[in-house]
Amino acid sequence: MRGAVGLLLRVVPVVFRTVRRSPIRTGLTVAGIAVAMYMFTAVEAMRTGVRDATQASAEDATLVVYRENRYCPFTSRLPQWYVDRIERIDGVRAAVPMQILVSNCRASLDVVTFRGVPEGNLLDSLDGTTVITEGTVADWQHRGDAAMVGRTLADRRGLRVGDRFSAAGITVFIAGILDSEAMQVRNAAWVQLPFLQEAVRSGGTGGDVTQFNVFVNDPTRMDEIAADIDALFKHDERPTATRPEKAFVGRAARDIVALADFAGMLGWGALAAVFALIANAIVLAMRDRIRDHAVLQTLGWTGGLIAWMVLVEGALLGLVGGLIGALGAWATAQLGRFAMTMEGTSIEMSTSFSTAAMGIGLALLLGVLAGLVPALRLSRRDIATCFRAV
Amino acid sequence: MSFIRCKQLTRTYMRGTEAITPLESLDLEIAQGKFVALMGPSGSGKTTLLNLLAGIDTPTGGELHVGDTPVHSLSRGKLAQWRSEYVGYIFQLYNLVPVLTAYENVELPLLLHPLTRTERHARVSAALEAVDMSDRHSHYPRQLSGGQEQRTAIARAIVTRPSLLLADEPTGDLDRETGTAIMDLLKQLNQDDGLTIVMVTHDPATTDWADTLLHLEKGKLLEATT
Repeated sequence: MRGAVGLLLRVVPVVFRTVRRSPIRTGLTVAGIAVAMYMFTAVEAMRTGVRDATQASAEDATLVVYRENRYCPFTSRLPQWYVDRIERIDGVRAAVPMQILVSNCRASLDVVTFRGVPEGNLLDSLDGTTVITEGTVADWQHRGDAAMVGRTLADRRGLRVGDRFSAAGITVFIAGILDSEAMQVRNAAWVQLPFLQEAVRSGGTGGDVTQFNVFVNDPTRMDEIAADIDALFKHDERPTATRPEKAFVGRAARDIVALADFAGMLGWGALAAVFALIANAIVLAMRDRIRDHAVLQTLGWTGGLIAWMVLVEGALLGLVGGLIGALGAWATAQLGRFAMTMEGTSIEMSTSFSTAAMGIGLALLLGVLAGLVPALRLSRRDIATCFRAV
Repeated sequence: MSFIRCKQLTRTYMRGTEAITPLESLDLEIAQGKFVALMGPSGSGKTTLLNLLAGIDTPTGGELHVGDTPVHSLSRGKLAQWRSEYVGYIFQLYNLVPVLTAYENVELPLLLHPLTRTERHARVSAALEAVDMSDRHSHYPRQLSGGQEQRTAIARAIVTRPSLLLADEPTGDLDRETGTAIMDLLKQLNQDDGLTIVMVTHDPATTDWADTLLHLEKGKLLEATT
């Protein structure tokens, strides 16, 4: 290949050889970058999960009615008959009473959340994007102890249709697996309401439930309808607090949200570490190679060409380290299917590849930036000075 | 007309507030195809002159022409391009890049030229053949003896087919026998390819191969012996 671009491409293999044939230096630098990028990508996956779970969008049309001043599924108890009155409010499309039972009320990476819904209301209770991937609704209705398990929970626990599994003191039969774009659907086991009410000894059908999920016709009227619901039960024995679902998740999981914000700073710290690692590796390499660069210049290589080699080296180190670290974190999230659950609401670690791609791109960019100053300094050095410095 | 023409060539640099002039108002002419040895005590300006001839240092006064090129007036970029096309340089300590094989070291100067991989391969193979290093092409510098390293360095210097070959004490780090072999090789390149060679040396024995011997002292030319 001819021309300036051809020249730039012809020297790239020299950089590859130099990096490959300095295995200790390259290995240590790449390992450091990989660890830092693993951390950054994992933190970003967690933050993306938090954003997805708590950031409201224009399409959100689900309200959660909870017992006022209660923050845990164990203490939120609302009469199931509220459902008829909620459904009569203008703008409400449907309301589903829901009993929630969790294996652990505190923040944890592996909490099992049972959600009990009336036998005839399973699909109405779920997000519109939900699909049953294994089993059928009829299978679920056929047995009182049947559960439809969300895909993330099933993957995390290795659950299959036909299995029985126990958590929070109850044992269920898995009648099907369902998948959904909604995090709260993917991370729960859906059982029949009377079964769950019985299990928590709340009096069976017609007793108490933990919450109501209310679906509204017009998403722009969410706040208005929430206010109507709370006003309806304000003077009742058990008043309610109604919020859009994502705001509810944000409130319930506020500790996780705060933790994610703090982790975000660690993520930026990891990026700073990547920058420092690459810059340090390059500066040390440049010192080691003063003579080599002077020789190259004697052979006719320009300072600009040597600066280009330094930038390519920085980019290469960043790219390889970023690939290992970011793909490692992505694979961990894919295989682990981690979800942080608190007070019955789940926040998944994002498994989207875009987070890993962003990590790889940032590592590449940091590699170039870290090489910029050494490259500029090198391009201005004169040969005789370099030889004298050796 | 001479191939190399130095007219009032001067190089001064500052060490703190003190001005050092290793080369002062040097007038020198060297014909094409000559093998010239430069001798003189340390600090006499030999290496400074060699660096100026190679275009890796620039004069602070006077003129330097090599062939038709006014080297003294070239910019940094033009000097680099000129070096890559017309100058081969041999160092006392070989200065091969340690992480590259003998073949890859010799290939380095050719990467600057718009040649195909096949053309590069042919040139590198020919250069290694010329210095009798074909069988060691895949060895790294640490796997070569001093003489083999210097042969590789010579191959690297001649692979671009320069018209001027500069050597800074090319046998200074070698034993007598190996040094003799290297000098034979340089003489062969001078005679067979018509290369103009300027060599700095401390060893009077190596001047036997040169056509002309120049003595420098305190930055001035003392005498020329043919």
